[in-house]
Amino acid sequence: MKALSKGKLTEVLDKLSSQQEVFVPLQKGEQSGYFSWADYQPDRDELMLEALNVYQSPKNVVLPQTERMYGIISQGMEAKIDQTFEDSHPTVIFGARGCDVKGILAMDEVFLTRGFVDSFYQARRANNTIIANACYAPGPNCFCPAMEVDPVDPAGADVIIRDCGDYYAWEALTAKGEAVTAQLEGLLEDRDVKLPSAQPFEMQVDYQGVAEKLKDMFDHPLWDKMAEPCINCGMCTYVCPSCYCFDIQVKMFGEKGYRFRAWDSCMFEEYTREAGGGNPRGASKERFRQRFLHKLEFFQERYGTPLCTGCGRCIIVCPTDVNIARIIKAVKEAEVE
Amino acid sequence: MKESEKGMAIEQPLVPTVVEVIDIVDRTPDVKSFFVRNTDGSGLPFQVQPGQCGMVSLLPVGEAMISCTWQEEQEYLEFAIKRVGLLTDELHRIEIGQKIGVRGPYGNGFPVEACKGKDMVFIAGGIGLAPLRSFIKYCFKHRQDYGRITIIYGSRSSADLCFKEELFDLWPQEQDTEVFVTIDNPEPDWDGHVGFVPAYLEELNPSPEGAVAVVCGPPIMIKFVLQSLEKMGYGDDQVITTLEMRMKCGIGKCGRCNIGSEFICLDGPVYYLKQLRQLPAEW
Repeated sequence: MKALSKGKLTEVLDKLSSQQEVFVPLQKGEQSGYFSWADYQPDRDELMLEALNVYQSPKNVVLPQTERMYGIISQGMEAKIDQTFEDSHPTVIFGARGCDVKGILAMDEVFLTRGFVDSFYQARRANNTIIANACYAPGPNCFCPAMEVDPVDPAGADVIIRDCGDYYAWEALTAKGEAVTAQLEGLLEDRDVKLPSAQPFEMQVDYQGVAEKLKDMFDHPLWDKMAEPCINCGMCTYVCPSCYCFDIQVKMFGEKGYRFRAWDSCMFEEYTREAGGGNPRGASKERFRQRFLHKLEFFQERYGTPLCTGCGRCIIVCPTDVNIARIIKAVKEAEVE
Repeated sequence: MKESEKGMAIEQPLVPTVVEVIDIVDRTPDVKSFFVRNTDGSGLPFQVQPGQCGMVSLLPVGEAMISCTWQEEQEYLEFAIKRVGLLTDELHRIEIGQKIGVRGPYGNGFPVEACKGKDMVFIAGGIGLAPLRSFIKYCFKHRQDYGRITIIYGSRSSADLCFKEELFDLWPQEQDTEVFVTIDNPEPDWDGHVGFVPAYLEELNPSPEGAVAVVCGPPIMIKFVLQSLEKMGYGDDQVITTLEMRMKCGIGKCGRCNIGSEFICLDGPVYYLKQLRQLPAEW
């Protein structure tokens, strides 16, 4: 089997970076997330392939936090769209965990199916290769198997690397995966590999039947109790690998400008506020309920899979201890009339 | 497969086409109709079915989803727009010749086929007449396909009544058609009906037998009209409404216009009451 010696990791990333932009998990000062290897500064940044989840998921690679869509020229009565900014430069996500790959698969469903294809997302995604890093030792907030993720053998990866101590076993699974593997001619070795054994999950989450049960729980008193601590700060949606909701806004500099989109959050009152003043989700509880029903019921109904990947980030970052695993449990245990 | 899941070949669905405003008509003190067509005069960026919408943008300001008026001879697109917010306020200031952006068509539209052979009861309030007007015009173009037509329309004041020429001159002359207009409060020069739409509807009491009611207006009006229709014996499969929520993308991606697992921009905006009853009560 092909293998990547950890001693050659920097060389491999340099080589891949010479062919396309490579995003790797980095600790950069206070923040961690998927950053371009071209920006890696050895004296300041730390490669985080051993960490389970860096703070930010790699969703920014396929859905940037802000992206320009098209340029506008506006002069009095005249108006023109002078260019569109579809970004098709090739990218590799190196080291994504299975939960984060599942997040991208969920976004593929949203942006590439159900009638309209989002051309901006498609341009990025068509030229994006995912090298996933299998997980054998889950963390205390991990529950991906409950959300249809196989941490050892994640679906959606073009290549899976498996940490075997001083080397990674390297398995190319798709044509895109074969293509990046071919770029590494002479850097990967052929050897017998000894795979690690998977450790048990500390947290047990049972999502079975939750989507169906939630259909009758829209007005359940559970939401009042669960939503009470939430301050609608939006941290959960910001770090979530599958939260994809976006806003479209315009920025003008005199007669020239551009329309862009940016991540938005269902936690914010403005998100659904209408011009006439109405707001179907004006109350904090309504927004809280929307987030969890979207994750656990609505997305399941529409796309056949939950919009939670069990990565545990929202549990870690929430300043008021809202915990999606506890919500799933409470739903399981709730009495429904 | 839902209608909305069929492939739609629009290469860049989020990028508008720039069109020219060829006419602007004042409908009320705060409603104007904007008529647009391609900048080279060659026709339209897209065609609509009754009840479908388009995203209208003043390029340097913003975009909003607006119901687009259906017409038989599709020589221009008409958007009747009420001044309520930042974008619509700016739109009300533009003049003929202004270039604006449009994209679409979006949404499912009214079930014009399924309603054939039915008596049609259209119930609207305020700017809510704009989407129904497409269906009403469609019925008149295909008059033999539909039964008796009853139009019940109300607004805050007589000045706020939209499409007055059609309401008072054109539609009442159509075959087997009655138009009932009401305003909320008495006015010195108004000799028509005074009162809210739901009460007027109950007073007129159009029979539910073989009928379909199509409702659009402010949320509070819709709520009470639906109660009245239920009281009058209309079944949930005899009532159609068209919904509205804040929208950004118009193509079921950006997330905000959902009710349950439905996206109003893509799967709606038109629903039978029977379908709405299956969804969370957020509409």
